[in-house]
Amino acid sequence: MDKHTEQYIVESVLKQLRERETAKGSRSGESVAADLASAVNTNTINDPVELEAKNFIGIENPKNMEALKVMRESSPARILMGRSGARQRTPSLLNFMADHAAAIDAVLTDVSAEFLEKNNLFKVVTVVKDKDEYLMRPDLGRQLSDTAKQEILQSCEKGKQVQIIIVDGLSSTAIESNVADVMPALIQGLESQGLTVGKPFFIQYGRVGVMDEVAPLLECDVVVEFIGERPGLVTAQSMSAYMAYRPDHTTIEAGRTVVSNIHRNGTPPAEAGAHLATIVKKMIDNKVSGMKLSALSH
Amino acid sequence: MGTVSPLTIQSVGIDIGTSTTQLVVSRLTVKNIAPGALVPRLAITDKVVLYKSEIHRTPIDGQNRIDAERIYSLIREDLSSAGVSPHEIDTGAVIITGEAARRENAKSISAKVAEFSGKFVVATAGGKLEAIIAGKGSGAADRSRRDFSTVANIDIGGGTTNIGVFNSGSALDSCCINIGGRLLEVNRSTQRVTSISKPMHLILNDLKIDLGNGDHVTLDLLRRICQRMAKVVLECLGLLDETSLLKKLLTTSPLRHDYELNTIMVSGGVADYVYSPSPNMSFEQATEYDDIGPLVGSEFAACVRSNSLPMEQSVETIRATVIGAGAQTLDVSGSTIQVDDQLLPFKNVPVAIPFPGTIPLDVTAIAGAVSQSISNFYDNDAIEKVAIGLPGRQYFDFKDVQLLAAGLLQGLDCLIRKALPVIIVLEADIGKVLGQTMRAINGEINIVCIDQLVVAEGDYIDIGKSLTGGTVVPVIIKTLVFETRQV
Repeated sequence: MDKHTEQYIVESVLKQLRERETAKGSRSGESVAADLASAVNTNTINDPVELEAKNFIGIENPKNMEALKVMRESSPARILMGRSGARQRTPSLLNFMADHAAAIDAVLTDVSAEFLEKNNLFKVVTVVKDKDEYLMRPDLGRQLSDTAKQEILQSCEKGKQVQIIIVDGLSSTAIESNVADVMPALIQGLESQGLTVGKPFFIQYGRVGVMDEVAPLLECDVVVEFIGERPGLVTAQSMSAYMAYRPDHTTIEAGRTVVSNIHRNGTPPAEAGAHLATIVKKMIDNKVSGMKLSALSH
Repeated sequence: MGTVSPLTIQSVGIDIGTSTTQLVVSRLTVKNIAPGALVPRLAITDKVVLYKSEIHRTPIDGQNRIDAERIYSLIREDLSSAGVSPHEIDTGAVIITGEAARRENAKSISAKVAEFSGKFVVATAGGKLEAIIAGKGSGAADRSRRDFSTVANIDIGGGTTNIGVFNSGSALDSCCINIGGRLLEVNRSTQRVTSISKPMHLILNDLKIDLGNGDHVTLDLLRRICQRMAKVVLECLGLLDETSLLKKLLTTSPLRHDYELNTIMVSGGVADYVYSPSPNMSFEQATEYDDIGPLVGSEFAACVRSNSLPMEQSVETIRATVIGAGAQTLDVSGSTIQVDDQLLPFKNVPVAIPFPGTIPLDVTAIAGAVSQSISNFYDNDAIEKVAIGLPGRQYFDFKDVQLLAAGLLQGLDCLIRKALPVIIVLEADIGKVLGQTMRAINGEINIVCIDQLVVAEGDYIDIGKSLTGGTVVPVIIKTLVFETRQV
C-alpha cells in the first residue's frame, strides 16, 4: 500500500467518525427509541447473521469430495460440518441455535386465529388451562372440556363415516405449514371413494388420545387426527396423522395407525392426504386399525 | 401400514448378439425399505442370478438373417434346463444387440420371442442403452457406486464395442463404435479370409492394407489390424489422440469427455482375452472361433498396459449384457400411485417432456406446452399412446396439484377424446394425489399416474401390471433406444 492510499483511508475513517459524533449529539434519546420501536413493529430489523446453507460441506481438503456430496444428499443430519480445532465452526453453532429456537417456538406458540379462519376451522379447547399445564399434564390433553363437547355437538353432524380433527400437539408450526394441503387432498380422496366426512375442527392443547373422546361423541367410524410432532433440530414442520377405527376409552396405542413425517421435505402433504384416504378406506372395509390392519397386509 | 411382505419376481434376460445368444434367469426381491410409520417405499433389494445358459452361437440362416425358429427353440430348451415354465416368468427382457439388431428380421424376432410370454419386453437396444446395460451387468456401475468414482465399462462384442461411463452408480455417458472380434472372419485351417465386414474395410483402408475374401493372412497382419482396433477404443475414451478412423467407426455421438475417468473395466466376449492374455498366441489360438476375437482381446490388453491405464477385473465378462438385461433394467415406481390396473401392461410408450425446466403454475401455459409436446410425436389423426414425463423435484402444494391436473387434462384433450389413457410419469412424490385430482375433474378417463421415476426426452417406457396389490408397478425405462445411427 502506498503512502497516498494510506492517508486517504485514515482521513475518510476520521471523517465518518466525526459525522457520527454529530449525529448522536443532535438527536434526543426519545427519537432514537421511537425509531427502534417502529423498526421492531414493522419487522424492519434485519437478521443480524446470515446462516450458512444446510447443505454446506465444511471439510477442508477432502480426499473424495464426490463421496461427501453423496453422503450430504443422503441425510439431513448434522454431518460433514467441518471443525475449527476441537470445536465446531461458528456457522455450525449459529445454525444449531437457530434450529433450536425454531423448535422452541413451534412448541410455545399457538395456532393463529387467521389460520383457523382461512381453513374454515372452529376451535375447541381440552380441559387444559394454559401452555404450562399442557406441557406438564399429558393426561389432561386427552380430555375435552364440557364446553368443548357442547360446541362440537352444536357444529358437527353425528354419524358421518370419517371425522377429521386438527390438534396442535407439540408443534403449532407443523399444523400451520401442512393442514391447508393435506386436508383438501384427504377429503377429495375420501369423497371420491364414496365416504361421508364430518366438519373438521381444531382442538387446542390436545394430545393424540383426545380422539378417543371425539369418536363416541360424534358416533363416527374413523377419526383422522392431524397433530404436530415434537420438533427436532432438522425440522419443526413435521406432522403426523393418527387414525383409529371407532376409538374410545378402551383403545390402546396398538389400535392406532400412524403416518408420520408429513412435511414438504418428508412425505409431501398433498400426496400424504391422498395416501391417507386409501388407508381410511381399508380401515372401514375391514373394521380394524393399528396393528390388526398391518397384519392384513401379510 | 408399515409392513408389506417382501415379494420375489422371476426375471428372464435374453441377449441375442452378433456372435452369441445367451439367457439368464434371475430372482429379484422387492421390499418395503421405509421404517414403520412412514409411507411405504418399495425398492428392489436383492438380485440373484439363478441360472446361466450355455453361450450359444447366434443362429444365422441361409440368407444371412437371424434364424427365428432356432432362436425360439434355443430359448425353450434353456428355460426347461433352468426348470422354469413360461407362466412362472414375471418379467423378462430380450435385447437384440450389436450387429444382430441390424439384420433385417430383428424386429420380427422380437415379435416371435414376445409370443413366448406376454410379459417379455423386447428391444433392439441400440448402442447407448446396450452400453448402459452391459456396464450394469459387468459390475462397473456398482463399482462406481461403492467408490464414488467414475468407471468406464468397455463391452467388446462381435460387431460393436459399447462404452458406458458411470459415476457414483448412475450412468453418466455412453457411446458405441464398430469395433468387435467378428469384424473379420478367417478360416482357421486354411488361414484364408472368409468375410470382411463394412467397418473392417474402413480399418483396412486406414492401415492401407489391401485384403479381399479368400486372401491368405498371417498372424502378424492380423495383429497389426487388432492393434489399430485397440487404439481406436482408447481414442474413443479420450486416452489417445483422436484420428479420422474413430469418427468413421462411431455409430452414436462420441463421449463428452467432460469428466475424469478413474478406472476402466472390460466385458463382452473378448473380455476374457483381455484379462488373461496370451502374448505368444499361435495362429490357431488367435482364430479359434474363425474370427479375430482372441487377438483383439490380447492386443487391447497390451495397449492398456503400455499406456499404464488403471484397469480392474469386472464381475461378469461375456455374460455382462445378458445379466444386465435380466436383472438390471427393471425399476419399481413409488408406492403411492394411481393406476387403472386393467389397462396394464403398456409397452414401448414414447415419453414426451413438455417442460424442460420448472413447470409453470398456470393452467393455460401447462395445457399449451403439453399439447405442443405430444404433437411433436404424432400427426393429429394418427395419435397413439404417449406418456407425459415430468422430471424434477419441484414442490407442489394442493393448489398447485389442482392446477397441474387441470392443465394436463386440457393439454391431453386430443388423446382423451380418442379414448386413450392418460399416462403421467413423475419424479416428485405426488403421483397419487395428482391421479386422484385428475379423476375428480373427469371420472371417465383411464389414468396411469406413477411417481419417483426419472425419464428424459426420447425415452420409451414399459409399465407392467401392479405388484403387492396395486401399490407399485414394475417399470423399464429404455433410454435413447432408437438412437443408434446405421453404418
